Amino acid sequence: MVPTQAQLDACVACGLCLPHCPTFRLTGDEVASPRGRVVAMGAVATGEIPSDDVYAGMLSFCLGCRACEAACPSLIPFGLMLEGSREQLARGDSSVEGKMRRLLVGRVLNMRWMLKMATLGIALLQRFRVVGLLPKRLRSIRGLRRQRLIASRSVQPAGDGSGSIALLTGCVMNEWFPEVHEATRGVLETAGFTVDAPPGQQCCGALAAHEGAGDAARRMAERNVAAFSGYDIVVADAAGCSAHLKEYGEWAEGGESVAGRTRDITEFVAELIADDKLPRSEETRGQVAVHDPCHLRHAQRIVAAPREIVRAAGYEPVEIDPDGLCCGAAGLYMVYQYETADQLGERKKSEIKATGTRLVVSANPGCEIQLRSHLDGDYTVLHPVELYWQSVR
Amino acid sequence: MSLVADLRAVLGSDRVHSHPLQVRVYNKDAGVTSGEVLAAVLPETTQEVAACMRVAKGHGVPVVPRGTGTGLAGGAVPVEPALLLVMTRLDPPWEVDHLSRCAWVGAGALNLDISRDLAHLGLHFAPDPSSQAACTIGGNVGTNAGGPHCLAEGLTVAHILGLEMVTADGDVVVLGGAAPDPVGLDLRGVVVGSEGTLGIVTRVLVKLTENPPAVRTLLMTFDEIEHAAATVSAVIAAGIIPAALELMDQAMVVAVERFLKADLPVEAAGILIAEVVGLDEAVAAEAAIIERIGREEGATSVRIAADEDERALLWRARKSAFGAVAQAAPNYYLHDTAVPRTALVDVIKKIYEIGDRYGVGMLNVYHAGDGNLHPLVAYDANEPGKAEQVKAAADEMVRVSIEAGGSLTGEHGVGLEKRDLMHLVFDPIDLDAQARLRGAFDPNGLLNPGKVLPRGSRCSEFGMLPEVGE
Amino acid sequence: MIRQELARLAGSLFADPIPDAPDAEFTIAPKTAEDAAAVLGFAATNGLRILFWGGGTHQAMGYRVEPDIIMSSAQLDAVADWQPEDLTVVVQPGVRVTDLEARLEQGNQTAVLPEDAGSATIGGVIAAGISGWRRLRYGPSRDRMLEVRLATGDGRLVRGGARLVKNVTGYDLPRLVAGSFGSLGMITEMCVKLWPSPARLAMVRVDDPERALARAYRPLALIETPAETVVYLAGSEQEIAAQVLRVGGEAESGHRWPEPLVGNTELILRVEPSATSMWAATMRKIDVDFQAAYGVGEIRFVADGIEPEELNRWRTSVERMGGAMVVSRVSDDFYLDPWGAAPTSVGLQRRVKAAFDPRRVANPGILPGGI
Repeated sequence: MVPTQAQLDACVACGLCLPHCPTFRLTGDEVASPRGRVVAMGAVATGEIPSDDVYAGMLSFCLGCRACEAACPSLIPFGLMLEGSREQLARGDSSVEGKMRRLLVGRVLNMRWMLKMATLGIALLQRFRVVGLLPKRLRSIRGLRRQRLIASRSVQPAGDGSGSIALLTGCVMNEWFPEVHEATRGVLETAGFTVDAPPGQQCCGALAAHEGAGDAARRMAERNVAAFSGYDIVVADAAGCSAHLKEYGEWAEGGESVAGRTRDITEFVAELIADDKLPRSEETRGQVAVHDPCHLRHAQRIVAAPREIVRAAGYEPVEIDPDGLCCGAAGLYMVYQYETADQLGERKKSEIKATGTRLVVSANPGCEIQLRSHLDGDYTVLHPVELYWQSVR
Repeated sequence: MSLVADLRAVLGSDRVHSHPLQVRVYNKDAGVTSGEVLAAVLPETTQEVAACMRVAKGHGVPVVPRGTGTGLAGGAVPVEPALLLVMTRLDPPWEVDHLSRCAWVGAGALNLDISRDLAHLGLHFAPDPSSQAACTIGGNVGTNAGGPHCLAEGLTVAHILGLEMVTADGDVVVLGGAAPDPVGLDLRGVVVGSEGTLGIVTRVLVKLTENPPAVRTLLMTFDEIEHAAATVSAVIAAGIIPAALELMDQAMVVAVERFLKADLPVEAAGILIAEVVGLDEAVAAEAAIIERIGREEGATSVRIAADEDERALLWRARKSAFGAVAQAAPNYYLHDTAVPRTALVDVIKKIYEIGDRYGVGMLNVYHAGDGNLHPLVAYDANEPGKAEQVKAAADEMVRVSIEAGGSLTGEHGVGLEKRDLMHLVFDPIDLDAQARLRGAFDPNGLLNPGKVLPRGSRCSEFGMLPEVGE
Repeated sequence: MIRQELARLAGSLFADPIPDAPDAEFTIAPKTAEDAAAVLGFAATNGLRILFWGGGTHQAMGYRVEPDIIMSSAQLDAVADWQPEDLTVVVQPGVRVTDLEARLEQGNQTAVLPEDAGSATIGGVIAAGISGWRRLRYGPSRDRMLEVRLATGDGRLVRGGARLVKNVTGYDLPRLVAGSFGSLGMITEMCVKLWPSPARLAMVRVDDPERALARAYRPLALIETPAETVVYLAGSEQEIAAQVLRVGGEAESGHRWPEPLVGNTELILRVEPSATSMWAATMRKIDVDFQAAYGVGEIRFVADGIEPEELNRWRTSVERMGGAMVVSRVSDDFYLDPWGAAPTSVGLQRRVKAAFDPRRVANPGILPGGI
């Protein structure tokens, strides 16, 4: 059962994780630090401390950004331990809010009709310009792309297994960011691949895992293992999804195999560019601020790839933040912990503004939403592969 | 009113932690001991610190200051149930005087942040303990922190120009400042390294050092540790004080390589990382001399870092040593002793011999230029009898160091860890004098009691200090 | 009675009165640390006051002490243990600075003590907190203190620090004693940190000190006097050449430090380093002889001919910025407080003094606040 005793014992309390943790940076409080959370998980696991609201609060305040993992010399798998602990908490949680949240991430995200209704609602809100009137918690809706009222561009399931690449179409990616899928497909086809969107696939289950809806996450993983079987490469163009797919070994039988075959689109495209299977633009187009989604940089340790793609698109990548501190999106965090998310979003906004450029790339939808909801209309936020596709097509 | 209620009246509820889980999370630092925390508070201003101190004094409760809790000697761990003053939020905007090369920063500012955020001015804060990415300047002041670059630059105390401190009475004093040689007794020197026993430092005026125009970092490999140590001596004898001279043995390099995967030379018995800084010409010449000496002493390879990335990787390797060891076994004991450099080879041999005799595996890293040794023992406390063997080996290592003319601690501090060994280096009169000095600052013994000095350091017949009237 | 007892205790240590020293009934020159401690203990029991005397070079600093005993370090003048490979040397306080440096130079080492030391002893310069010109590069003299043995005001022999270049065991008594002007007791032995001597020395005359300070990389010193402004450099031949290029101008080999100021009243301004230039300009404008150390914030000047009200205005002005104006020596005919305003930590300082010298034997009253 995760966290295991060995995982808990592995922490030597060196504290090297602390400066990388956004909640610690904001509060200076050990209680809001990875080291503190590991101690708490351990104390609850041994029964020394009861699993109560304070414990639940400690774990829910955590962004799950996993920046601590990248800094930990003891190689502690904090992300998995957090998910396991949240699952245990969820089992004991009969609150209405808790149940609603787990329902949202466990079921609703797989109901296409519900997502389409939400999209319609958002499209209307955007046209009637009432987004600013939404309650604070839902302000992140401000960060969505302009949604169409009719004629969705989402990717339909297709593919008979003959394609070389399986694309994870995802839940909100497909509804709210179909342009990214278009770019992904366009780029991969240019490199000579055929891209299938295998039917039977579901939401990857990342948000469910992060929320502690373990059963739902396992269910989704199982379905996806089946849907992706037979494909050599599985590509996801949302960093949160690719990170989670790479951990499918923890979530379903046969998951290890999917994990081994998964690539985030950025690392894949960067490789193709390096191997000259994709073109480089000759032009010099200006600067682009590169935002590193936590699940790309910390969870998958992919840092160079988005920058190489930006360069290949003819732009100069500009650094925002040497530490790669979370922008505050963190899945549903920006809804449920919106004050902290807001602080982090404002920090990220200042860093972006300081670069002087108006173009930002981010390889994750949640981050894109968060960034756009904090930056004003002068800024353009898109996926690095979209930027690349626009410049080389 | 209760202690917690009084503290809440000062700070509000959010910044006063008394729930069992919250205090549990605060009951240890990065060392091996834990203690009992009555409450942990997070003040944001000097006035709040002073108010908390007065509350604690009113209740007769001991106070333990804490930074980010990266200390290894138990300095931030209460010996008796205490109020923990968490200083991380003491971080107001810095007051940087570029021309005078100093800056007032809050005690909660992180060591590495100072150097990073002032890099654009061409300045940095010289003391660079391995924990520098995580430790606070307040903590550095408390322990008189070291690090590899202290060889040429000196310990933290040489880089502290001023201190703002809350006294045991809850008053605020300022010691020193940007002007040289403060008038009267210079108390800065005793407060730095006092491990939270003389007052709670809230702001620090740090001396900033010019970034050198050029740096050369060399990695030398050796078949025998003695050759590496001999190289160190020969370099110093040649009149060069490098910016850093760090020695790592094979066991340590192997552990770090497992973590970093940086192609480190895992076959060498020992590696020496040497760094020289200064003008291009000086640096090239000194690096050449160090290389020649290394080869004369038997270096099997000498490599100069080709660029900033490679240099950063070498330092990352060195500074990950402690954490990387954590993968080797569930428990560890990191030693810290200082010996005269001339005794280095001898003491290193004896330390390996002690390790063999007690059957404890060791990984070693040394600030070789300073004679500062960090044998690191990785073990499993669940193995019956192992913890006792490790402790016995540790005590013997300390004795061997002292016999060689060394002292208890080079940079981590006495804390709780070495408190009861103080009698090995100081006689009762020395300890009494230190106790009286401490009593001058803290007559009631409420500031981090049980640290630095063993119980009974005050010779009882001297009683309370007479007041100096005027 | 006391005289007889003291004679019995320390008769063999009695010495001739020292010229220039204040009148005192006894002049004693202990030969060992135990001697010193015994005399101090005796003085504590009998309410006597002691003034410590080294080379007599900085006795004009601080408030006047009216001693019963002058205790001289003349017989505590051994270089006890020089470990060149460890970069440490153990010395007794009566060793002359010039003698020690000459000896260390033979081994290509230096303790970076004041350059124009005259008859000053190492115990004296450390106790008076005098650092010399090269402090810009090497730090003040207190940075050299590794270990100290002190005979306290009440006759205890106390050791603090260690004979190691890197040590944090216990409280840093060596640093506390540095600059304490003998108010805690008599230094009977100290271990100081050494540096290798540089291969070559050079000086460059410049016109713009602030520009030179920004351009030079870690010069030893940058000193302005009315006659000239000089950057002092050291290192290998190539290094010096490179430095000279950065700074601009022509280099002269060797180091020629400014001559000691001549005047009845010499004062020292201690200000934040960035204010050095402003004060140097002030001095130049009113044609006062001065020596300004850039990067350090110390300006020494001859105050003869400056109105006391003006000096007090200067003092108030520097104190407001956290600095001080202290007296190095003053002519008999006007009074200027040797230190200025007592520091805000004086309460704590009094208690520290009492911890070492409860009976107020050791240079009582020499420091501000009655310490």
